[in-house]
Amino acid sequence: MTQFIAAPDRRTLLKAGLGLGGAALLGATPRRARAAGPDKINIAYFVGTSPTMIAKGDGWIEDLTKAKVNWIEVGSGAEINTAVAAGSVDIGLGIGSSPTSAGLAQSIGYEVIAMLDNIGPAEEMTVRTAANIKTPADFKGKKVGTPFGSTSHFRLMGFLKVNGLTQRDVTVLDLRPDALVAAWQRGDIDAAYVWSPAKSKVLAAGGEVFRTYDKLEAAGYVIADVIVARTAFTQAYPDAVVSILKANSQALDMWTATPDKAAELIGKQAGVSTAVAKEDLLQYDFVSPKVQLDPAWLGPPGKPGRFAEVLQGTAKFLAEQKSIRSVPDLSVFQKGINTGPLAQALA
Amino acid sequence: MHRIPLRAWTVLSAAVLVAAWLTLTWGGYVRDLFLPPPDELWDGFWDLVTDGYKGRTLLEHLEASLWRIFAGFVTGAAVGTFLGLAMGYWRSVEALFAPFIEFLRPLPQLAYLMLLIIWFGIGETSKIILLFLAALPVSAVAARDGVRNVPVQRIHAARSLGASEWQIFRHVVLPSALPEIFTGARIGVGVVYGTLIAAEIIAGSSGLGWMILDAGRFLRSDYVFVGILLIGLMGLALNWALVALEARIVHWAGR
Repeated sequence: MTQFIAAPDRRTLLKAGLGLGGAALLGATPRRARAAGPDKINIAYFVGTSPTMIAKGDGWIEDLTKAKVNWIEVGSGAEINTAVAAGSVDIGLGIGSSPTSAGLAQSIGYEVIAMLDNIGPAEEMTVRTAANIKTPADFKGKKVGTPFGSTSHFRLMGFLKVNGLTQRDVTVLDLRPDALVAAWQRGDIDAAYVWSPAKSKVLAAGGEVFRTYDKLEAAGYVIADVIVARTAFTQAYPDAVVSILKANSQALDMWTATPDKAAELIGKQAGVSTAVAKEDLLQYDFVSPKVQLDPAWLGPPGKPGRFAEVLQGTAKFLAEQKSIRSVPDLSVFQKGINTGPLAQALA
Repeated sequence: MHRIPLRAWTVLSAAVLVAAWLTLTWGGYVRDLFLPPPDELWDGFWDLVTDGYKGRTLLEHLEASLWRIFAGFVTGAAVGTFLGLAMGYWRSVEALFAPFIEFLRPLPQLAYLMLLIIWFGIGETSKIILLFLAALPVSAVAARDGVRNVPVQRIHAARSLGASEWQIFRHVVLPSALPEIFTGARIGVGVVYGTLIAAEIIAGSSGLGWMILDAGRFLRSDYVFVGILLIGLMGLALNWALVALEARIVHWAGR
């Protein structure tokens, strides 16, 4: 278990135990936490092209944790937040940094335990070729669709801000990915900020990439997908969490070592062809667990890295959007990152 | 028991609910995420009033929703009632339309939401059509049954007095069917109301339904509750308006 976050908790627990004069309790606490694994793990996931899909498809998590896994398909990070708040989800795979920032700001009771990927160019602006949009100023009077509350929405708003545009200049519409594709095909929108498979579909239907990600990343609009775990779950079943992260990093290793084989398995799970899966996968920067422990990202156990600042930066945007009430201190996001299990999974 | 006025029971149930709310929230038993306390709810409401929600004022959201409900309901109820009257009056018209009306009536609107987007786009048209389709079958069935239930003796009496078909329809059938048409309209408003959120899923950025959905995504329960209260009160007001109209037009009903 982590030294940084859980240690004070356990210390308090032990102190309480000692205070009660329960020497037996002192011995019992760690044993109870370690001995029994969970019977069932509720894991929320997105259907998409991510190496995690191999771990799901081939039952690696079930094998390593020896628990039954209840796989819950979700369509947005917001659903994961709601489900965790309700206690119905223990692990959220691939939740975006925007909903994660909102979840931590509202202390719904989870921690970031690992990253999946740095989204980079995988979520990007697509413009209709016929709309003749060449510069940011050309967006004036145009309609752009994006799923509100997503990492793409965050990037799009960043794009407007960086270029001195407002929502009075550009009409921003809230469209779920499937509805977005439909609206695009009808010609109702001129541009879309979204991820694949919706992105590849609009690109195929008369769209072209309008590159924004590099400038936006430089301006601090970094977006990523992470793995979150309900804090109470991690405390109760630290070993299971380590196993899940092991399964995930094995899947990533497979993608790195044998991309074609991995793409085939992932494509099958995501319902797309091997070629499309590979093309999508190549756009993501899947940050290796070792690099995640670097101060530039999540940081080593006990020393939360720069990613806490990314999450706080996102919270600033969310507060401006009135999606959260106020921007919490950086410490809230630092405490929301727990790389203890990840370090253990690597060891 | 019967000495206690009925209103007192209503006040009592409301008071118990409010007391439970105050105890749970201010007493710290429930987090604001799950149930916001009154002060937060008020702050949320005031925030919405002064600052609006995501680029629009609260009034603009309210207006957008009201307009959609109005347009969808009025068109749906008008066409539905017209069709229902014809269906009740002429068996052949009923045979023509009944299968579609009966099929459409129990169909969940979300089931064909995607089709409406593809066919009519993401603007107001698809939203209003969705509400129109929700209101239409309810009104049609109510009007048809209204005509069906007109006592035959009344029609015979009018006919033997030498009334023309049009006069029978205008002075006997229509007035007799009106109470049921109004009941249908009130149910229709309810259905349209229930469909509003589904309609506003389509490429929103305006409307109370969209606001509730969007705020819900971020677990902003204060905005969600404010939205629900507003939508609920608006529904009550609409129902009252219809009841008042009914009392005015079909004042003889039930007598």
